[in-house]
This record gives sequence, C-alpha cells and structure tokens, in this order.
Amino acid sequence: MPIRRLIIAILIIGPILALLAFGFSRDAKYIRSPLLAKPAAPFTVTLFDGKKITLEDFRGKAVFLNFWASWCAPCRAEAHDLEAAWQKVKDRNMVFLGVALQDSDPASKEFLKEFNVTYPNGKDESGKIAVDYGTWGIPESFFIDPQGRITYKHVGGIRASLVLEKLEEAARGIASAQEGRGDYQGVR
Amino acid sequence: MRVRALYVLWVLLVLFLKPLSAASTPDIEDRTREIAAELRCVVCQNLSVADSPSEMAQQMRAIVREQVEAGRSTEEIKAFFVSKYGEWVLLKPKTTGISALLWILPYVVLITGVIGVLLFVRRVAAGKKAAVAPELTPMPEPAQRPIADQGAIEIPDLEDTTPRAELLREDERLRAELAELAFDFQSGKLSEADYRALSRELELRRSLALSQLAAMPPPAAAPKPERFNRVKKTKTTESANGLRRWQLASGAAFLLLFGIVLGVTLTNSIRPRAGENDTMTGGFMTGTGATNNQADAALAEGKRAFDRQEYPKAIEAFKKVLAGDPGHPEAHSYMGFILMQAGHGDGALMAFDKALLRAPNFPMALWGKGMVLYQDKKDFAAARDIFERLLTLMPPGEERNEVAKVLADMPASGVTGKPNASPEHPAAAPAGNVIAGKITLDDKLKNRVDPQAPLFIIARQAGGAAGPPLAVKKIDRPVFPLTYSLGQENAMIQGMPFTGKLHITVRLDKDGNPATRGAGDLTGEYKKNPVEPGAKSIDINIDQVAP
Repeated sequence: MPIRRLIIAILIIGPILALLAFGFSRDAKYIRSPLLAKPAAPFTVTLFDGKKITLEDFRGKAVFLNFWASWCAPCRAEAHDLEAAWQKVKDRNMVFLGVALQDSDPASKEFLKEFNVTYPNGKDESGKIAVDYGTWGIPESFFIDPQGRITYKHVGGIRASLVLEKLEEAARGIASAQEGRGDYQGVR
Repeated sequence: MRVRALYVLWVLLVLFLKPLSAASTPDIEDRTREIAAELRCVVCQNLSVADSPSEMAQQMRAIVREQVEAGRSTEEIKAFFVSKYGEWVLLKPKTTGISALLWILPYVVLITGVIGVLLFVRRVAAGKKAAVAPELTPMPEPAQRPIADQGAIEIPDLEDTTPRAELLREDERLRAELAELAFDFQSGKLSEADYRALSRELELRRSLALSQLAAMPPPAAAPKPERFNRVKKTKTTESANGLRRWQLASGAAFLLLFGIVLGVTLTNSIRPRAGENDTMTGGFMTGTGATNNQADAALAEGKRAFDRQEYPKAIEAFKKVLAGDPGHPEAHSYMGFILMQAGHGDGALMAFDKALLRAPNFPMALWGKGMVLYQDKKDFAAARDIFERLLTLMPPGEERNEVAKVLADMPASGVTGKPNASPEHPAAAPAGNVIAGKITLDDKLKNRVDPQAPLFIIARQAGGAAGPPLAVKKIDRPVFPLTYSLGQENAMIQGMPFTGKLHITVRLDKDGNPATRGAGDLTGEYKKNPVEPGAKSIDINIDQVAP
C-alpha cells in the first residue's frame, strides 16, 4: 500500500517538476524556427549601388542571405569569412545577398569598403524584411534553395566552411532540421 | 442647378465622412495597440511590442498597423507573426493544441488542491468531533480519577498498526502531554485555571482512549477471524492515520522539491544576463557555460573595486569568478590590466592570452595584450598585428578611433620576442621594406589545427635553405584569415639586412619551436616565391601537413 501511494505521488509530482524545470531551462528564442523548410518571404531591396533586386530574381539559384549592421561586432568578425566563401562560389549557380539592418548608409558603405565586400548588398529600409525573416539577433543568415525554400537558418557569426557546406545542401534542396548558432548581437 | 447639386453632395460627403474618418483613426490606433500588447518584443526582456521603445518593436508596430489598416483580423495578424517567430512571439500562448495544457493545468492543479484541502479539513474536523464527543458523559476530575498509570504497562511494537496499538500510543502521547502540562504549571508558565481546563481536556481524551482500549479483548485472546472483523470497524481510523501520514510526507516532499526547482531555476532565470548569448538559465542544464549568480556578483564587485583602484579587493573578486569558470575572458582581462598596472608585463600577457584562448576576438583582451606588447615589451610588430585585428572587430566610434590613434602613433620598428632593443642596433628599417599579405587556412585542414600551436612566418634567403632563417615572426593563437607584415624588425640577428630575394613560408608549429618542423605541423608557402622586401599581397594559404 505505501509503495503504491509513493508511486502515485511520484507520478503526480514528477511531471509537474519536470515541466517546470524544462520550461526554465529553455530559451524560447531557440525553439525551432517556423521558417525552416518553408518558402522564403519575397522582398525587394535597393542595393547600395542603386539597383533594385528581388528574391524572385534568384529563383533557380542557391541563395545565401545575410542580415548585418556595421555596428555589430560579430558581423565584423564574420565579414572576411563571408567574402572568402563568396569568392569560392561566385562562378557557380549560387548568389550571396547582404541586407543591412538599422544602419546608416555611410556606415554600411564604410563597412563594405573596409572588408572589401564584393557581393551585392542593400538596406532593409523599413525593417519589414527582417521581420519577414523572424530576425532578432545579427548577424543572421538564411540559405534558400533554387525553389525558393529556406533550408537553413544561422543566428550569429558563421564560418566560411559552414557557409559553403550549407550552400551545397541548399543547392540540392536539403533542409536542416535545426537552426545554427554563433556569436550574435541583439538588434536594437 | 447641377453645380448646386454637386456642392450639396460635396458638403454632405464632407460632413458624413469627416466624423467617420475621425472615428476610424482612433479605432485603428486602439486595435494596433491592443494587438501589439499581445506580441512579445523580440529584442527585449518581457516587454510587449506596444510597450517597448526599441527600433525593432517600432517596426513591428508599423507592420501591425499596416495589417490593421488592410482589414486583417487580430487572429490573422497574430498568425503572421507566429509564422515568422514561432509561438514564442505571443505573450499569451494559444489555448489550442499542446499550448492548451498551459491554460488547463493550473486550473486542474488548483481544483485538485482545493478538493485536497476540503478533504483534509473535513477529516480533521471529524477527528476533533470524535475527540470532543465524550464530553457529553461527565468524567471525574483528574485528581479524583487516578488514570495516570492505566494502560502504561503495555508498550506496543513500533511496527504494530492494529487499533489496539494505535490506542496505546495515543494514551502514551496524552500522558506525556499531561506531564508536560504539570511541569509548565509548576514552573509558573500556566495559571491554575488554564492548567485545570487543559488537563481536564487531555484527561477526557485519555479516558476515551482507555475506555476504547478496555472494550477490546486482550491481544492474546483475540482470535484471527474476530480481529479481521474488527479491522472493518476500525478501518476508517487506521486508514485515516496512514493516509494523513502519507499526505504529510508527500506534501513535504513536493514542497521541498518545488522549492529546490524554483530556487535554482528561477534565481537563474531572473539574474542579469552575462552576455548576448546567455540563455534564460545560463549553464544550468543547457550547458551554455554562462556564469551563475555568485560569479556575476563577484565580477560586478571586482569591476567596482577595479574602478576605485582597490586592486587587492578586485583580485580577490576576480579569483572567485575564475574559481567557478577558469576561462572567464572578462575576469582574465581585468587580472591582466591589474598585473599591467603593477608592472608585471609577462603575467599580464599570460592573463590576456588566457582570455583570448576562450574568446579569440574578445576586444578587451586584445586591447590589453596590444598595450603590453606596445608599451612594456616594445614589440611593435606584434602589437600592431593585435591592434589591426582589434580594428577590424570594432564598430566605428570613439573607442575605435582611440585604437587607430595608438596604431598611428606607434613607431614603425620594434623587436619580436626580444624585450629590449639594443640602442647600438636600432633595427630601424624603412617601412617600405616590409613584406605584407594575408594568411588563410585551407578548409580541409581546419579540423587539424592545434589551438595552442603558434604561427611562424619565416623568411629565408632564396637558395639558402640551410642555416637559420633571416627573419621570423611568431603569432600566438592566430585567427584566420590574418594579415601580416614581416620586415627588418623581425630579423633573427639584429642588424642583419632584410634584403635580397626571400623565400616566405608559414608554419603552425605544434611544439612552438621555430627551428624544428615536426610531423603534423601545418605549413604553407607563397606560391610565387621568391619575393623582394617591400612586396605586398604576399598571400599564403596553409594547405600542407608536414610528414
């Protein structure tokens, strides 16, 4: 009888405590992004050289989309890696697109000049693109397959090797189950 | 006539539409605010989009407003944000699916608790009633009825749970209480009236227990079937006692565990975040390596002491932080600055290196290391490398300008790994003679890098492979890609001219000895060797493994 009561008590109390501990141990931001394996939100961005491009323009290519700001230290830390990765794939059916967030034009341009960034970059004027991509920390990178589906999301700084690996996956339409994580800075 | 008709129509439209639009604008505002109040600001701590002053929240509010104006329903707008950020963006979780549990569970627990309390109160009341009932039949005064010794002969076994044993224990307990009461009265803690009233009550309860006991047959004479029948009669009392004990034990265990879980998790959860990447609970269960409350407090105390220049106190505080997290970059950096202040350049360098081992791009440690190399070691080349790296990491601003200024003021020459430049050999070289470029690490070798291995950049006279190199530069814990420069200041023998055709190679050396190349060292060389001093863009990729 006492053993049965003990088991019943554990069965009632255990899950409540486990639920409590689980809830406190999770950072809600890292719950799986709803964007993975879903169609990427369409957008139009004005590049710093004045041209306008849309995501649709890149249909049929694997896309690396990177949100950044000149005031964000992890963005600076990854800048060389991104350019190095771009240099390796620029002649293939892959495109890079940088989108500056919450930044001034001169500061963004200075950043691009400083790190000798050669792939196209524009500015998210209204912040709508960032919201459409569920952005909360920068840098944030998205990999989009040729069909326009998000295959991988990485919050924080990313290394060139991972960019290339995930781009290859995106080119083959392989979507990751989890998003990645590196050093990041919260958007303002 | 026609004009007049149009005018009347216009007036009517103005009169009709003006109040309509005046009414709709506040409505849009209200709805926007109402919806925004239900959305979480994604860059804040527990603030709604409506309440947050952040730029991101403003952008989100603008999107809410736009969608309200477009005629979307509240649910549609909320669903839009959920599709982007997940349900986390809702301040109130949905009442459907698994989230419904969050709404239902508290009520289930509350109702269960209320029922439990009601049952408990009812049981207690029933017990009291049973104890008070004998008052209806008057009993003799304590002094007149010497029951103090009754029932004292038999002592029940502790494991015996029969009604008889329970009654014997009850009798024993009441007797002890009576003795205690008498003691209190004798020692003056109780008035006579109170003593009499209380002792009478206890005596009554004891007499009830004894009368029940007397009604039972002696234990030896009790035949088994009869006992079995009696169990039925006394079952309620027995199970009530057992149940009460279990309730108390379970309640105590639950409260204890609940307290522990809350104490640990909640305090971790509401502590100040250690950094951008820190999670709700820090290192607890998530393994993210964040500091705990004590470490945070010690770090804050250390910083305050450092600002007040109370260095012994600061050292103690930072030691506490490092005891909990031996690689804490901020604590190591502060220790480095303290050692620097005290004139211990080597110790400071070691502290900054420890910080950089954990966080290779930690600006504070880079700044400190650069300053030690610059001011204490006079190793301008190494200091320049550090400051250049720091510049690439720092966003534009005053601090960055400060670093740039230090870099600009730095003399063009210095020594590498040799603390004191000999005045006889000033080792000055024209800046134009410096070889510069970028070193990268091949992707296929990234997993083979020993994080402790320093990088050597080596210049040898072309065609003269034997003998010591002409110049060597050592970079501890390099982060690739890195820019480098090699010049007269890196000459192995001071005063040896840094001229002629040079063969440039690099090596990530596991044993840290530039003179030996061991198996497994990662190497690379400039593909168009030899080069001449002053050559730029001498880019090298580390792509070989030494056999």
